[in-house]
Amino acid sequence: MKFWKYGVAAWLTLVIIFGFLIDIPQIQILKESARNLYFHVPMWFTMYIAFLTGMVYSIRYLNSGKIDLDIKAETATQVGVVFGLCGLLTGSLWARFTWGTWWTFAEPKMNLAAVALLIFVAYFILRTAFDDPEKRARFAAVYNIFAVTTIPFLLYVIPRQLPSLHPGADGNPAFSDMTAPELRIIFYPAVIGFIGLSIWLMDIVYRYKKLNYQLEHTID
Amino acid sequence: MTMNKPDYTGLADTLSSAYSDKWVASDEVETAGAFVQFMSSNDLIFVVLGVSLIIWFVILLFLFRIEKKLALLEHRQTEALESKEDHP
Repeated sequence: MKFWKYGVAAWLTLVIIFGFLIDIPQIQILKESARNLYFHVPMWFTMYIAFLTGMVYSIRYLNSGKIDLDIKAETATQVGVVFGLCGLLTGSLWARFTWGTWWTFAEPKMNLAAVALLIFVAYFILRTAFDDPEKRARFAAVYNIFAVTTIPFLLYVIPRQLPSLHPGADGNPAFSDMTAPELRIIFYPAVIGFIGLSIWLMDIVYRYKKLNYQLEHTID
Repeated sequence: MTMNKPDYTGLADTLSSAYSDKWVASDEVETAGAFVQFMSSNDLIFVVLGVSLIIWFVILLFLFRIEKKLALLEHRQTEALESKEDHP
């Protein structure tokens, strides 16, 4: 196993320990749940990075036609969806104890995040519609590029214009004065750690998919 | 002669009285061991930390195992491909 993976494991372990132990200022309503910032928000950051990675591989696939690049694009998108689901679930739990409800249709960021994930679920449904791997790869790449371009609009542009309880609404950045600056000390390392974990997961999933592809296409 | 039967219902009542001294929650943290005292401090935040770390370590262990199995499969696959090239 490659050395950097042990680094990711140790790094995230430290993030969890210090995320719980470091003193944080008392913030109204949030209280200790402000620590969720270290775990909930990095899920989304990681999802963005994974989807962007997928888009880059999709573009590169269309340029070169190498099937490996299509497998990489699918892998990155899959890992992105996993992190997005974690973000949605953790957000729902957090909302229950700060906003008083598991889900509200009055909250634009919550609902648009769900819509964004559905767009990527459609990507995997689209992939199952083709038997020919070349054709599947081409259609999936084009669709994926379209899908990723919707993300900034769904998760930044539109929610920021609307009134919302979620930080980063009403024309404000997410790190406004309601979020204590001390939280950044753990927040940024947490983002790095979870992105590292996603790269680790992509590595495993890609190797599995590649083996699977070889088994399906080299046996005569 | 039902009258002579002893009344067991009171003895089996584990809801209002403890079944054994071992199961009595220790209400005096000062008398407990160092570990229990530590875990009980700060409004039990260390218990949440412990639970999170257990989940994280189990996931890590799982990842390490998959890594090992994948590496083995990849090794077998490259060997199979090589032998195919040697004897077409």
